[in-house]
Amino acid sequence: MHGIAYDAVHDEMIVPVHLAGAVLVFHGDANGEEGPVRMIQGPHTQILRPETVTVDVPHGEIIVGEDGGKDILVFSRQAQGDAAPLRIIRGLKTGLDEVRGVAVDPARNVIVVSSYSKKGTTGLFVFNRTDEGDVAPKAVIAGPRTGIIRIRQVEVDSAQGRIFAAVKNNTESYRFEALLPSPWNSAELGFIGVWDITDNGDVAPRAILKGPASGMVWPAGVAFNARNHEIYTIDSVRNGMLAYSVPEFFRVNSAEKQQPTVH
Amino acid sequence: MRFLDSWVTPAKTAACLTLLVGLSAGLGLNMRTVEPNISPFAAEDESQGACSTPSGSLPGTVEASGLETATGGDIVPVRFVGDPYPSLHSVAVDPENNKVVMTDSNRGGLLVYDRAAGTPLDSSAVSEPLTQVRGPATGMMFVAGVASDPRNHELFAVNNDIGDRMEVFPSDAEGNTKPKRILFVPHGSWGVALNPKREEVAITVEHANTVVVYRRNASLGDAPLRVLHGSNTGLQDPHGISFDEAHNEISVANHGNWAPLTRAESLQGELKGGKFDLPSITTYAGDANEDQAATRKIQGKHTELNWPMGIALDPVHDEIAVASYGNDSILIFQRDAQGDVTPVRTIGGSRTGIAGPMGVSIDAKNDEIWVTNYREHSAAVFARTARGNVAPKRVLRNAPSGSPAVGFGNPGAVAYDSKRDQILVPN
Repeated sequence: MHGIAYDAVHDEMIVPVHLAGAVLVFHGDANGEEGPVRMIQGPHTQILRPETVTVDVPHGEIIVGEDGGKDILVFSRQAQGDAAPLRIIRGLKTGLDEVRGVAVDPARNVIVVSSYSKKGTTGLFVFNRTDEGDVAPKAVIAGPRTGIIRIRQVEVDSAQGRIFAAVKNNTESYRFEALLPSPWNSAELGFIGVWDITDNGDVAPRAILKGPASGMVWPAGVAFNARNHEIYTIDSVRNGMLAYSVPEFFRVNSAEKQQPTVH
Repeated sequence: MRFLDSWVTPAKTAACLTLLVGLSAGLGLNMRTVEPNISPFAAEDESQGACSTPSGSLPGTVEASGLETATGGDIVPVRFVGDPYPSLHSVAVDPENNKVVMTDSNRGGLLVYDRAAGTPLDSSAVSEPLTQVRGPATGMMFVAGVASDPRNHELFAVNNDIGDRMEVFPSDAEGNTKPKRILFVPHGSWGVALNPKREEVAITVEHANTVVVYRRNASLGDAPLRVLHGSNTGLQDPHGISFDEAHNEISVANHGNWAPLTRAESLQGELKGGKFDLPSITTYAGDANEDQAATRKIQGKHTELNWPMGIALDPVHDEIAVASYGNDSILIFQRDAQGDVTPVRTIGGSRTGIAGPMGVSIDAKNDEIWVTNYREHSAAVFARTARGNVAPKRVLRNAPSGSPAVGFGNPGAVAYDSKRDQILVPN
């Protein structure tokens, strides 16, 4: 499983099962060999290999991102079985390639997608929440100033209008001919980057967690705990979970306190 | 970035971790600034053997918006959850040279033990490996399957979710050493098996439901000799693999997960979607290729298969052993069994010490079965004919008894459960 989302209102965990083309929903306190309460799977779902998932609680939707499918599939939160998606974002205009992360800001009505591409654009793609079909994103955060080379999980702090992204940057540099080769490309370490939800273009992160003391090499996931001002990541090289206390990442200025209402 | 190119020993990593936890949790300090000598991710100072934090460039200045300029930086984590000890993944016993090799998927390494190593189950003694191979130069990352080639004195290790390489080491390799050769393999490779007669090596690929077969000494970008893939093969999330030299067959352990790789594949024939099938053991002709069907399949509720991981062939007694992770047991079948059959023997239960078996290897010469426990820091050795809830002959521990096995397997995401104040990590 390469993704996970938690729905605090309904106390449910949602996970994509990449190798079985399924999205499973479990009770929040599920443990052991407990079955899912709902499962989305089957040919009419159009799911190929789901990589990432998020839940839009106010609008009652589960949003699935696919790497091989190069798309975003939106289902009813209560979808079950071989259910057709409500909407699909897919096609050349979207710019999506290997979708690695998806998040939603229900207040601002946008979906944020992280996508990696060998030939196209790697970065953060922002769509209108109700976009459908082969549509261009309303914003793309990508380019050398962003520091994004390879990217994975993305989260949105709707209260502040900020995007948290796990920028893995796992560009391997194992050169066998070297005397002592190493897989780690130390010049391009991964990091946790924070952008404003209104950012567009080649914009440097507004805040960042990066460096040798941080312990991160290839961070693959990101989550935040606004109440305790903490950010969590998991790292492929460390094979572990790291927690950071960063109150300044959650400092809301007066302008941002005026949070949009959910429509 | 010295720490990335150096190597921190397990003991040293553990010591540094302990200090971090003690300071941050025990003393309630907020470790937000770079403090030399206390980072768990510091470099090994080879001259003094101490933990030290290398200097590194801080990220560039960030523009002001809702956040302050240059917010964040190289901040020490307040907590780290990880396993300082190796996680024993797959195992291959070499009775000719009295050695056993195991992969460590947690810290990316190989551990070679004396075949007779180990202590009784109730002993808490830690068994020291004869040699360890680990470090950046080895190229091993999330390493999974392992195979031993006594004839050519080589060890084969396959990276799973990251790395996309097979590394081949001389059997006496030690430390942070470069492999003898590497072979680029498909993403999601897991199991590896050798056929000395055919001079071939076969590899399972989880993600692509595929078996790829290469020349034994293939290297770098060499193409496979054969690729077994397609809806007729019955390959469904394949893991363990064995090559039967005498009968010229390949057997594969399948979890039973399947989904189309591409939109085109989903539209071939009838519309296809993902599915969960029952796990299976499928067997193919040794030279099977493309979309060739299995010659036999073990599958059904009587088989007790539950997340079958490693499999091992006993050519002397004509049996196959399967590490059945989901029900903490080792299942032994007749080599030519097929259909919904019950195992001829099962090893499982509270006395066995089996917990999350990932690897299995049969030593027909010494009449023993080796099992690696992923949910404990141990490997267990049973009599080959053991059955039921029996104690192992001996156990190898690679960590102090009671050390928790964190169980991370290259996780790819994280979430916060605000209701329970818990952090969720899918493997």
